[in-house]
Parts: sequence; C-alpha cells; structure tokens
Amino acid sequence: MKNIGSHIVENRVLFLLVLFLILFGVFAFSVKGFFTYYNLTNMTQYGVELGLLALAEMLVILSGGAGIDLSVGSMLTIVAMIIGVLIGRAGFNPSLAILIGLISGSAMGYANGFLVAYPKIPPFIVTLASLYVYKSLAMIISVDPRFGPNPMPVSNFPETFYFIGQHRIGGLPFQVLFIFIPVVLILMFLMNRTVLGRHLYGVGSNETAAIFSGINVKKIRVIVYTLSGLLSALAGWVITSRIASARPDIGTGYELQAITIAVLGGVSIKGGEGTAGGVVLSIAIITMLYNGMQLAGIHQIWQLGSLGLVLVGSVLLNQILYNRRKF
Amino acid sequence: MDAILECRGIEKSFGGVHALKKVNFSLHPGEVHALVGENGAGKSTLIKIISGALSQDRGEIFYLEKPVIIGSPRKAQDIGISTVYQEPLIYRELSVLENIFLGREIKTRMGNIDWTEEEKKARSLFESLQIAPHFIKQPMRDLSVGLQQLALIAKALVYEAKVIIFDEPTAILTEHETERLFEIIQKLKERKVGIIYISHRLEEIFRIADRVTIMRDGEVVGEHLVGDINRSKIVELMAGRLLVEEINHLGKKGEKPILTVKNLTRKGRYYDIHFDVYPGEILGFSGLVGSGRTDIAQTLFGLIKPDNGEIVYQGKTISFSSPEEAMANGIAYLPEDRKVQGLFHILSTSFNISVTVLKEISSRMGIVHNSQEKELGKKFVKELAIKAPSLDSKVYSLSGGNQQKVVLAKWLGVNPQILMLDEPTRGVDVTSKSEIHHMIASLAEKGIAVIIISSELPEILKLADRVIVMHEGHITGVFEDQDITSENLVRAATGERMLKTKGSSIEEKNL
Amino acid sequence: MTANLQIVMKRREFTVLGLILVLMVIFSLSTEKFMSVSNLSNLLLQLSGVAISAIGMTMVIITGGIDVSVGSILGMASVVAGKLLMAGSSFVIVVLSAIATGFGIGILNGIIISYGNVPPIIVTLGMMSMMRALMFQVLGGRWVSGIPPDIRIIGLGKWLGIPLSMWITAVLVILFSYFLSSRPTGRAIYAIGNNPEAARVSGVNLARTILIVYSLTGLLVGFAGLIYVARTGIVQTNTGSGFELEVIAAVMLGGTSVFGGKGTVIGSLLGAVLVGIIKNGMVLMNVPALSEGLVIGVLILISVMIDLIRSRGESL
Repeated sequence: MKNIGSHIVENRVLFLLVLFLILFGVFAFSVKGFFTYYNLTNMTQYGVELGLLALAEMLVILSGGAGIDLSVGSMLTIVAMIIGVLIGRAGFNPSLAILIGLISGSAMGYANGFLVAYPKIPPFIVTLASLYVYKSLAMIISVDPRFGPNPMPVSNFPETFYFIGQHRIGGLPFQVLFIFIPVVLILMFLMNRTVLGRHLYGVGSNETAAIFSGINVKKIRVIVYTLSGLLSALAGWVITSRIASARPDIGTGYELQAITIAVLGGVSIKGGEGTAGGVVLSIAIITMLYNGMQLAGIHQIWQLGSLGLVLVGSVLLNQILYNRRKF
Repeated sequence: MDAILECRGIEKSFGGVHALKKVNFSLHPGEVHALVGENGAGKSTLIKIISGALSQDRGEIFYLEKPVIIGSPRKAQDIGISTVYQEPLIYRELSVLENIFLGREIKTRMGNIDWTEEEKKARSLFESLQIAPHFIKQPMRDLSVGLQQLALIAKALVYEAKVIIFDEPTAILTEHETERLFEIIQKLKERKVGIIYISHRLEEIFRIADRVTIMRDGEVVGEHLVGDINRSKIVELMAGRLLVEEINHLGKKGEKPILTVKNLTRKGRYYDIHFDVYPGEILGFSGLVGSGRTDIAQTLFGLIKPDNGEIVYQGKTISFSSPEEAMANGIAYLPEDRKVQGLFHILSTSFNISVTVLKEISSRMGIVHNSQEKELGKKFVKELAIKAPSLDSKVYSLSGGNQQKVVLAKWLGVNPQILMLDEPTRGVDVTSKSEIHHMIASLAEKGIAVIIISSELPEILKLADRVIVMHEGHITGVFEDQDITSENLVRAATGERMLKTKGSSIEEKNL
Repeated sequence: MTANLQIVMKRREFTVLGLILVLMVIFSLSTEKFMSVSNLSNLLLQLSGVAISAIGMTMVIITGGIDVSVGSILGMASVVAGKLLMAGSSFVIVVLSAIATGFGIGILNGIIISYGNVPPIIVTLGMMSMMRALMFQVLGGRWVSGIPPDIRIIGLGKWLGIPLSMWITAVLVILFSYFLSSRPTGRAIYAIGNNPEAARVSGVNLARTILIVYSLTGLLVGFAGLIYVARTGIVQTNTGSGFELEVIAAVMLGGTSVFGGKGTVIGSLLGAVLVGIIKNGMVLMNVPALSEGLVIGVLILISVMIDLIRSRGESL
C-alpha cells in the first residue's frame, strides 16, 4: 500500500518547482534583462503585497465550509487610505497611523468572520457584499473636502514612511526581509506546530468531526477571517509605502489573483488541504511570470487574464486529483 | 392470485459482510406484506434492492411475472415500484401539486405544464383516498409530515405504482395521522396495490398486514400469515437463540455511581430518563436506531440541551454546553457515524489520534510538542494493533477496522472517566471487532465507566453488565445478569414495558 | 378572500413593491427632479439592463449557484457591438453578434460548472478576468465612441412614452416568467435548487439543466450589453465592472434565496427597480456616488438575514 495522499502533496510541490524552473529558464534565455542580479532581487518586492493576500486566502479557503474571501483587495485599499489620510491629511505619527490601519483591517476581517460563523451566511455572499462596502468606504475616506467631492489619492508622506517599502539590504527589498519572510515563517509555525493550526486543518477537512472532537469551529472561523483582514492590512501598508501613495482604487482585482495563487499552490477549494510552502512557491511563480511578461512588453491586463485561466485550470486539476481518491 | 413481485435467492455482500443470504420474498396484489427484523437483519438492504438503490450480487427479481433488472430508483419508479421513505424526499419550496408531478408532468399540446389537468387529477386522486385536497397548492414546507407523506403516496399513484414500499411510515406520525395512513393503506389494497410495510411496531403489523416475513442476520427466518402467528413468536424469531461467548471483565463495579441522570427530557427525542452509571461497569443501551439512545449520549456530551431534568456527575450537577467542556471533565463520546462524525479523512493517522489531546501535549503558548505527539501515536498504534503503514498515512487509506481503532484511540487519549461508545464496531471486520471488544472490557477493568450503545444484540449480550432498553424516547426495560437475554431485549425494544427487574434504582422511580 | 390577501401580503414581491412606493414618495417630496418625466424615463432606461440580466441571475441563484462574470459578459458584448457598429455592420448582425457573444461565454461557464464540477464562484471569477483581458486586447486600451446613431433607437427610442428597452425588458420578463412557471425545464431549475437528489430520482438531467441556466444567463446579459451600447454610445475597457453586484443585489432583494430553490423573475424585476431607484435617488439627493457600493452591499446582507430569520422561524 503506497501512501497516495502524501504523494499528491509531494507531487504538487514538485510540480510547482518544475514549473518554476521551466519559467525561469525560458525567461532567462529569451527575455532581455531578466537574468540580472538587480532584476531578480528587485522583482521580489512586487510579490510581497500579493503574497500576503494569497496567504490570507490560503487560511480562509483551508478552513473549509466553502470559505473564500473576496474582500481582501478592498481591505487592502481601505487600510491604505486610512493610513494615508491619517498621516498625509491629519498629520498623525506614522507608527500610530499604521497601528490604527492594522487594527481596522483586523476588525473588518472580524466582521466578515462573524457573519460567516454565527448567522451562517455563505462566505461568497458575505465577502462579495463587504468587497463593495469596504471599497465604497475607502473612496469616501479618500475624499478631501478642500478639493471637491471626488476621491483623491494621498501622497505627502514623511520620508521615514517610505523606509519599509523602498529600502534595501544587499539589494533585497526591506519588505521581503522584514515583513514577508517573517509572516511566512510565523504562518508555517502556526499551521504546523500549534494547536490552532491543527484545529484549522481539522475544521477544514471535516467540520462535523471537528465539533465532535471538541473543537470550537465558530472560533476558528472568526480567527481565520480576522487574520485575513490583518494580512490584507499589512499588504495595504506595504504597498502604500512602496508606491509612495495611497490610492482609492489600488486593490481592485487583487482578490482574483490571491485566490488563484492559493489554489495553484495546492490549497483545496474543499478545505483542509494545503501548505504555506506550496503557496509561497506559487507566489514566486506568479511574481516571476508578471516580471517576465512585463519585461517582454506584454500589457499587465494579460497578467489578470492568464490568471483567470490558471485559476479555473488548477481547480480542475485539484478536483481530478481529489476524485481519484477512494474513501 | 399470482405475485406481482417475487425475489428469488437474493444475495448481497458488502466487503466481507454477507448482508443477504438467499432471500426469497413475494408480494401479491392487494396484499400488505410486513417485513420485520432487528437493525442489521437485512430489511433495508432488501428494500434498497427492490427500489433500485442497490443491485443484488446474485438472485432474480420477477415483476409482473417477468424477470427484471431494476438498477436505479428512477427505473423502479417508472415500472411501478414506489418507495415512501421515512425521511420524505421533497421539494420544500414547491407546491404539493408540483411535488407530485415533477418529472412526470402532464403537458399540453404546446409542451406547457397543464396545471389545470394536473390539479384535476390530483384532486380526484386525493378524493378517491377520501382526503380533502385543500392543501395541494401550498408549498410543501407548510405541511405537517403526515400530509407530506400523503402527498408522496399520491405521487406513487400518479406513477401508477403497483408496489408501494413503506419504510417505517408511522415513526414520525402522530396517532391521528397514523390512523389516517391505515385507512389509506386499506384504500390502496382495494386498488390492488401490493404493499411492503416495514415497521418496528409489532402491534401495527397485526392491525394492517396480511403476511409477515421475519428476517435475522440476512436470512428469512419465517414467513407467516398474520392470523397464524402471535407477537411472542415473532419476537422469538427476530431474536433467535443467540449463542454468545461473554467477555467477563474482572474489574470491580464502584460503590457510588459516577453519574446519575434524573428526569431528563428533551421533547421529540427522549422523555423522563433516569439511570445511574458506576465506575468499572459496562452499561449497555439497546433499542432501535432513533429510539433516543444517541440523543441521550449527545446530551451528556454537551451537544444537545435537555429541556428538563438533572445530570449529576461526580457529585456535582452539571450542564455542559459544548463537547469541549464535557471532554475537559473526563467525558468522551465515540460517535456512531465514523465517516461523518469521527474521522478527518484527508489528514494523517497521527493527527486523528492526537486531535482531542492537543492541549495536553502542547506548551502553554499552544505549541504542540512533536515528540510527544509521535509517542502518543506510537503508543496507541501498538496498544490497539492499528495497521497503518506509518503515522503519517492518511486515514482514508486505512481499512474500516483500523479507522475505527483510530477513532477509539482519539478518545482513549483523553483518559475519560466515562466513555460512551455509539455503535463501536459498525462496519468493522471480525478480527478488529473482537479486538475492540476485548479493549472495551479491559477499559472497564481499569475502572472506567463504559456506556455502550449498540444495535447489535450479540455485542450487548457479550459485553454489558447491565442493559437499558429504549423505545421511542422512553426507557422500556432495564436488565441485569441472567435477565439479559436476546428475547427480553427485543421485547422491550419493540415497545413492551418491562421495568420489572430487581435491584436497579430506575425501577423504583418508574413504578 | 382574506386568506388569499394574506398570502399575497406575505410574499416578498409585495414587501419590495411597498418599499419602492415608500422610496418614491420620499424622493419626490425631497427632490423636485425625481418625478420629472426625463428623470423617470432615464431611470427606466438605466434599470432595464440590470433587470434583463437579473432574469438570468435569478435562475442561477435558484439552482444554488452564482455568476460574478455578468459584468464582464456585459462588457464583452458591448465591445463586440461597438466594434461592429464602427465597422459599419448591419443592425441585425450587430444584434445577433452581441447576443451570441454573451451566449457563448455563458455556455463556457456552464460546461465547466456542470461537467467539470468546479464551483460556480471560481469559474465565473476566472471568466471575469479572462474577459476583461480580452476586452482590453480588442479595444487596445482605447474607448469606442461616436457610435452610429441608428442603433441608439433601442436605447433612446420610445413607444407610448416609455423607452423601447423597457418594452423589451417587459417582454423578456413575461417570457421567462412563463418559462420558469410553465415549462418542465423551468420547473426542473427549482427542483435542483430544492433537492438535487430528489430531482435526479425524478429524472431531471442535472448537468444539462445547469448548462442551460448559465447559457441563458450569458444570452440575456449579451442583450443587456446591446442595450448598454445603445443607451450610452460609449464602450470602454471597464464597461460593466461592478455591474454584477447590482444584478445580484436586485435578485436577492427580489426574494430569491441564496440557499436555492426559491425566487421569481417578477421579484427580481422589482428588485432591479428598487436598486435603480435607490441609485437614482442618491444622486438626486446629492449623496456621493461613492457610497453606492456601501448601500447595495448592506442591502444584500440585510436580505440574506431576512431569509435566514424567515427559514429559522419555520423550522422551529
């Protein structure tokens, strides 16, 4: 008796590694300017924001019950605007503003989680509604009455604020070293080594059995959506710092990319299955794909378009693998 | 008259379990043929084969004197074999009329649904059954279960059913609804419809059936005209003479009960329940599935809130609001449905064993000690002889017996004071079953109070020191020592009140 | 009689109608413009696209699914119509091509959902981004404007003082009400949403029915795209973005339950009117357009809550 399950998981990581290497090879040979130290280190910064959202999506989808968070892009946007308005227009101390931003992101995630766990509204409805609610709030916040009723970006930040998004150490972006990598390590630790992580997998793979095993399912759900809010908020902070501007339309379309990366990384849409490692590899692949396409002069809308295809394709792949198992 | 339906030499196996052994069964037009037997006797398997949900391994079915292969519920319905299930298969939001005709619409020449014609037909159908059809335009969800059932009977007649199978139709009906159902069955007989009637209420069989077939262990053990047989003979046939090797455990039953349940009631599930549980004993709960046994266990485990009554555990009155709380207080419950309630299929064996004890094997910060988790896994794999390639093996790849051992291990890990086992050996091979039984006995020896809920008489006879029998939410019998016989258990399970044994604290309160 | 009246009053459509009337009174009292002929016909014009798409979405949600790609289908159909008009194609070709575009995308959605067994939210989300990219490719990042005037009759023409697009909407609403209430396939859609297992036993072809539902939705949205072009005379890369939310809101407000099995086209039409009036009234009352998403999102959540409370009340 071979162990089919772990083989599939191994295959997924292997599959992603091979995909990564092939893409890398193709771009290195055919795209000018790809295989340089500067480009390779530089492009990692673009993966951070999307990566954080993908990790958020991973947690939510992993928790099962048709879990999905369509509002990550909107939460990113609104936190970016909160931080931007507080620093740029209200003159808050940046650290305080960032803290408030992170707390508000978590609170919005909590609201999603509460509606999913307690009144048991289907996650796609809750987060579709909150996608628009949060986006709308972000635009309302962005209005500067001094300049009329239209949404306005904020870009007058103090120099210190750009540190996290624009500083480098040995060519490597600061946000990769001090935000992304620590977050990944913490999540890996959380998922593999802690009681919370075990409970998360348990709830995702069989909710009823989890209840019968004394796991507080509702609590896990709320935690997961709250973490999703927090991670989106982190992404909102980083992106504002990187592009030196808080824009009210910045997060549009991110939800699709985040879901795609998570699913491509091996997170099963049925819940209970997936690893942070797989998702990180998937982030690397997508980031490299974007970079290569950009260097090759392909318009960025095609990044989204190809992702749609990847999303449907990889869910189909997961589904086929899932159906092959016998219970 | 010739039979409409005849089954000859039907055989069916599931894995290694021989569920039906050379079963013969026949049905005549205008006849009510009752099918009785304990849980697991093979009635449902036979019914599923006749209604097309399963197909037989061997044997033939003749319908209207021609051999048929039924194959699917759809086909069964089309050729005139309809089933009225215990839990009706309905479209909640659609009207009664539509529930009756969906999939068999009457159409106009344009291909539209001919609502007037359908309504006319439904009305005349209901009127022929002498039911006022005022409800046919209401959505199904607004109807009582009794009326829903009537609608499904009408549906069967629309399909021109010649055979209607009733699977415990009265279990969910009120007394009044039951009476009405019997009147309708009478009308169906007049229309020469053949009826297969499954019920655990023996008195109903004497009221409406013409013939009764008794099954036990996958075999037909008797077929009699109802006039030729009496209740106690049926019970005797159902119970059989079970030769069971008892497992004796040496543990001493404690002096004081660890748990006392008084007056416990939850409407619709169980009523006025009293019993004690002592450390070191094995208390059996017998009776049919749905008689309230599982609900009581789930109440003790914090999953169901009782309406009334008191639970005293270790001298204190308790009311747990979640399994988490019950577990923390040393109460464990192995649920009846392994697949749905017990296992995390796509996760590892080690995960499944340790999931209930994560707090004990982790630091205060909630970090799991991997080495302790591994040790725990190894310990149980060894103790319960779990056959798994490794601790990392996904549980779905294990055999049924080994899966059940994994679930058992999950609950043994919490070191319970009270261990409730709901159908602990369902769907488990013979070897694992015997291993699990010995395990249970040794747990009682260690002083754990074990409550075992089982639909299998041999299991109860083999293990239990004391048996409580339930019927439709009430305790109908409490037996000890030599009174624990298969016949007594079956009699109580079919509704006879038999609370006349000595020595138990229940009896005094109930008499 | 009173019993019948009670049944009518309990229906969701009645509540929505009441709400519409209340809002109309409020808006006409607080703004002078609301009751003007030009505003009302403008309102009808705008809501016809939502209403037509809502017909399809009603069927989708009745089966227990969702289609978030309707915005991009609308966009794609508009692009096709706009490009063909600019190239001087005939009226008939334009109409047929726009509808065929929507239909084709709908078929694709339906096949992957029903035969590939992939959750609708994933399929339609993926489809949405693919269509957006394709639109960009076709338009090359530019607008299409200055569309020849003859097509605009669909959008701006009137008969008996009511915009043509509204007449078309009315015809489609009647047609699909008939389909959903009187045709066996229409009823099978409800059966699947209520109890797929029972439907299978009754001989309903699940995969085929689901395919039909998503295909028809695509077709209807294609039509809505045509009306959009005819009304605005402009097509851009982001045409139709956010449109899906309005449609979903209209359907859910109209009493179609996200839990499946229940809903009517008339209800969704009323839902579309309600959404349209809210949007229109907000503009007239100078509530910033930015809070539109906020209001509609909250309305969606409120209507799910009503469903939940209602179904809990019954099960007790």
